[in-house]
Amino acid sequence: MSDSNNTNDTAKPGRFMSGLIGLRDWTDARLPIVKAWNTHMGQYYAPKNFNFWYFFGIISLVVLVIQLLTGIWLTMNYTPSAEAAFASVEYIMRDVEWGWLLRYMHSTGASAFFVVIYIHMFRGLMYGSYQKPRELIWVFGMAIYLVLMMEGFMGYVLPWGQLSYWGANVIVSLAGAIPVIGDDLLIWVRGDYLISGATLNRFFALHVVAMPIVLIALVVLHLLALHEVGSNNPDGIEIKKNKGPDGIPLDGVPFHPYYTMYHDLAGIVLFLFVFCAIVFFAPEMGGYFLEVSNFQEANSLKTPEHVPPVWYFTPFYSMLRAVTYPLFGIDAKFWGMLVMFGAIAVLFVLPWLDKSPVRSMRYKGWFSRGALMMFLMSFFVLGVLGTQGVSPAKTLMAQFMTVIYFAYFFAMPWYTRMEKTAQPPERVTGRFISIPQLLGSILLLILLVVLPLMLVSEKAEASEANLTLEHVETSFDDKGSLQRGFTTYMNYCSSCHELGYARFARTADDLEIPYELVVENLIFDDSLIGDLITNSMSKDHAEAWFGAAPPDLTLIGRVRTPDWLYTYLKSFYADESRQFGTNNKIFPNVGMPNVLHELQGDVICDAHGEEDASHCELSHVAGTGSLNEAEFDTVVAELVNFLYYIGEPIRSRRQEIGIWVLAFLGVLYILTALLGREFSKDYH
Amino acid sequence: MTDDSTNAGRRRFLVGSTSVVGAVGVVGAAVPFIGSWNPSAKARAAGAPVRIDISRLQVGEMLGPIPAWRGRPIFVIKRSEELLEALNEDPGRLTDPDSEEPEQPGYAQNEYRSRTPDLMVLIGLCPHLFCSPTPHIELRPQPFDEEWRGGFFCPCHGSRFDLAGRVYSGSPSSRNMEVPPYSFEGESVLVIGIDEETTA
Repeated sequence: MSDSNNTNDTAKPGRFMSGLIGLRDWTDARLPIVKAWNTHMGQYYAPKNFNFWYFFGIISLVVLVIQLLTGIWLTMNYTPSAEAAFASVEYIMRDVEWGWLLRYMHSTGASAFFVVIYIHMFRGLMYGSYQKPRELIWVFGMAIYLVLMMEGFMGYVLPWGQLSYWGANVIVSLAGAIPVIGDDLLIWVRGDYLISGATLNRFFALHVVAMPIVLIALVVLHLLALHEVGSNNPDGIEIKKNKGPDGIPLDGVPFHPYYTMYHDLAGIVLFLFVFCAIVFFAPEMGGYFLEVSNFQEANSLKTPEHVPPVWYFTPFYSMLRAVTYPLFGIDAKFWGMLVMFGAIAVLFVLPWLDKSPVRSMRYKGWFSRGALMMFLMSFFVLGVLGTQGVSPAKTLMAQFMTVIYFAYFFAMPWYTRMEKTAQPPERVTGRFISIPQLLGSILLLILLVVLPLMLVSEKAEASEANLTLEHVETSFDDKGSLQRGFTTYMNYCSSCHELGYARFARTADDLEIPYELVVENLIFDDSLIGDLITNSMSKDHAEAWFGAAPPDLTLIGRVRTPDWLYTYLKSFYADESRQFGTNNKIFPNVGMPNVLHELQGDVICDAHGEEDASHCELSHVAGTGSLNEAEFDTVVAELVNFLYYIGEPIRSRRQEIGIWVLAFLGVLYILTALLGREFSKDYH
Repeated sequence: MTDDSTNAGRRRFLVGSTSVVGAVGVVGAAVPFIGSWNPSAKARAAGAPVRIDISRLQVGEMLGPIPAWRGRPIFVIKRSEELLEALNEDPGRLTDPDSEEPEQPGYAQNEYRSRTPDLMVLIGLCPHLFCSPTPHIELRPQPFDEEWRGGFFCPCHGSRFDLAGRVYSGSPSSRNMEVPPYSFEGESVLVIGIDEETTA
C-alpha cells in the first residue's frame, strides 16, 4: 500500500490531475479564483488562540445554509394564502415525504440561528471585537441581526396559526403608535383593515425572496470587512504587529486548513448533534420553538389567552411593555416602541461608546466586567419576563432592567475611560480564566438572573392548578388500543369533529388496519381510502346547534395534553340548566354534549352547597351506562391515545430515526475530534 | 522515524475514515430533500385506482376522455364486430402489430390489445410528445388518411393509431398507445389501475 502511494506521490501528475490543474489555470486567468481562495482561506491568517466562543461565527453560517435549503424546499409545498396556509403546513407535516423533517429543521433552525447569533454577539462584547478598526464588521453584524429579526418575525406569520396571527397583529400595530401618520401607515402595512391574506402574502414575498437576498449580501460584507482587517482574538491584540521574516503573523495560522478542517469541523458536528437532538426529540422545545397556540388556525375573532412572542424577541417585548407613562401628550405605546427599537439601535453605535484603551475583557477593569455582567442579567431577566404575563411587580422589574440595559451603553464612555486597565501582552496567550473562576462567573450570573425573577414571581397561579388532571398513558406501540380508539372516534366523534388534515389510508397503515376493514367499518360516507377524514356537517348549522362550530381535532393532541383530554372527556356531569343537560367540570359551559353518555351513564356533580361547580365532586351513578367505570375509563384512554397519535403521526418514527442520526453524528464527532487533535500538532 | 511513520499511518486512517463517514452523512442529509419530491400522499390518493361505470356504453361508442387515472385521459371504447374485423386486415401498415413493445399489461398483449375483445381501454395520450389524440371511430376515408379503418389521430404532429391504439407506420410516434392496468368488478364496473380481477 505505502509503496504504491509513494510512487504516486513522486510520479508526475496523471492525465486527470493535470487536466484539473489546466482547468484551474484557465479559469484563474479569467476569474481570480486562486487569489480569492488565498485571501479568504489558504493565506488568511487567523490568531491561533481562538477559544470556545469563536465557533459560533462559522456555526451561524452553517445554520444559514440549513435555513436556505430547508426554506427553499418548504416553499415547494407551502401555499401562501389565508385560506390554505395552515392546511398546507399540515400537508407538509403529514402528506409530503420527509416534509415533517424539513419543517422541523427550519423551525428549529430559526431558534438555533438566534442562539448562535446571541452567543456570537456576546463574544464580540467580551473581547471588544467592535473596536477600531472593526467598527464596520460590527455594524454589518448588527444589520444582519436586525434583518434576521424581521425574517424571524415574518416567517412566524406564515404558518397562519393563532400565534402567527395575533403576534403579527401586536407587532404590526406598533406602526399605528407613530403620531399623525400612524393610522394610515398601519393600514398600508397590512394592506387591509386587519391582518389578512394580503398581509400574509407580502410577508411571504419578503420572507422568502427579499430578506434572504439582503441577508446574504450583508453576510458577504461582514466577511469581506473581517478579512480586510483580520480577526480579533481573546487577548484583543493585533497579531499583524508581530510578523515573521516571511511576512506571516507569528501568532497566525492559516484559516484553511487549520480552522476549517482541524478546529471548526468537530465544533460544527457537535452543534449538529445538539441541533438534531432537538429536531428529532423535542421539536417544540416545550412550546418555545413551536408554540402551542400555533397548532390552531388563525381566527381573527378570538385572541388566545396568552400571546407571548417567540423567545428570541422577549427581551425587547418586555421593554415595550415596561413603558407605561405617556409623555408630551403622546401615548405610552409610542415611547415603548421607541425604547424597543432604541435597544437595538444603540447596539449599532457601540464601537463609538467604548473609549477603553484595551479591547478584551481580560485587560479591562472591574467596571467594565461588572457592567457586562449587569447587562447580561438585564437581558436574561427581560427575556424571561417577556414570556410571562404582566403584574405590577413584574412591570416594575422590567422597567428597572430596561434602565440597566441602557445604562450599560450610555455609561460606557464614562466607565471605560476612568477605570484602571491592565497592560495586554505582546503575544497571544492561551486560557486566561481558570475553571473555578469560570464556574464562579456562571453561578453569579445565574444568581443575578434567578433572584430578581423570584422576587416578582407570583405565589403559583392557584386556581388553575387546583384542577388536577388525571394521568393517562399513551403508547404508539399498542396498536390494539389505537385501533379501538380510532373506532370509538369514528363512531362517536367523527360526525361533528373532522380530522381534516389526516387521511384514512395513512392512519390505517400506521395502525396496521387492512384497508378493506376501514372501508367497510369506519367510512360512513362515500370517502375513498386516500381521502382526508372529513364530515359533511355545515359550519353554519353547527354554530346554530352548539353555539360554536365543533373544531377540527387533528391537532387537538398537540394543543391539549393527553391528561387534559382524558380528564375532560370524563368530567361531563348532569346539569339541567344547560342546553343538552350536561356541563363539564374542567371546561365549564362547553357547547359539546356528553357524546359518550350511553357508555358512561349519569354523573352527578356535588358541590357541597357551593355556587362554584369547578371544585365539585363527580360521582358516577352505577348501572346507568352500558359500561362500568373501569371499562369506560379504558375506552376514553384509548380514544385519547388515538388523538395523541393523530396529532403527530410521525412522532414515533421521528424518534426512531433520531437515535440513528445521533449515533451517526457521535461517530463523526469522535473522528473529527481525533482528526483535529492529530493535525493541530503541526501548528503548535 | 518510527514515530513519524505511525503518525502518517494514523493520519491517513483518520482522513480516510472521516471522509467516508462524512460522505455518508452528506448522502443521508440529501435523502429528505430528494425524497420530498416524490408524489405526496395527496398525489397518491388522487392517483389511486378509479372505478368507471360502463353499463351504459353503447357498441361503437367511446366513453371519455375521462380525466381519471393519475390525472391522465382514459379512453374506453366498445368495438363492434365490424370494427374488430377491420383491426387486423392489413398488419403491414402498423409499426408494431403484435404489440411486442411493453406498452400494455400481459393480458392485453393479444390481437385486440384488451382483456375482452370488444372493450378497448387506453390511456389517451400519444407516446410521441403526449398530446391527446382525437378519436375517429367510423370506417370512412379521412383527410389525413384515405384508407382510414377507425382509430385515433393526433392533432399535434399527425400520428395515426388504429382502434387498438397501435401506431401506423410513417407516424412521428414509433410506439403504440399505452394500455393501463385494468380489471372488472362484476359486469358494469371497470377499475383502472388494478390488474387483479376482484370478486365483488
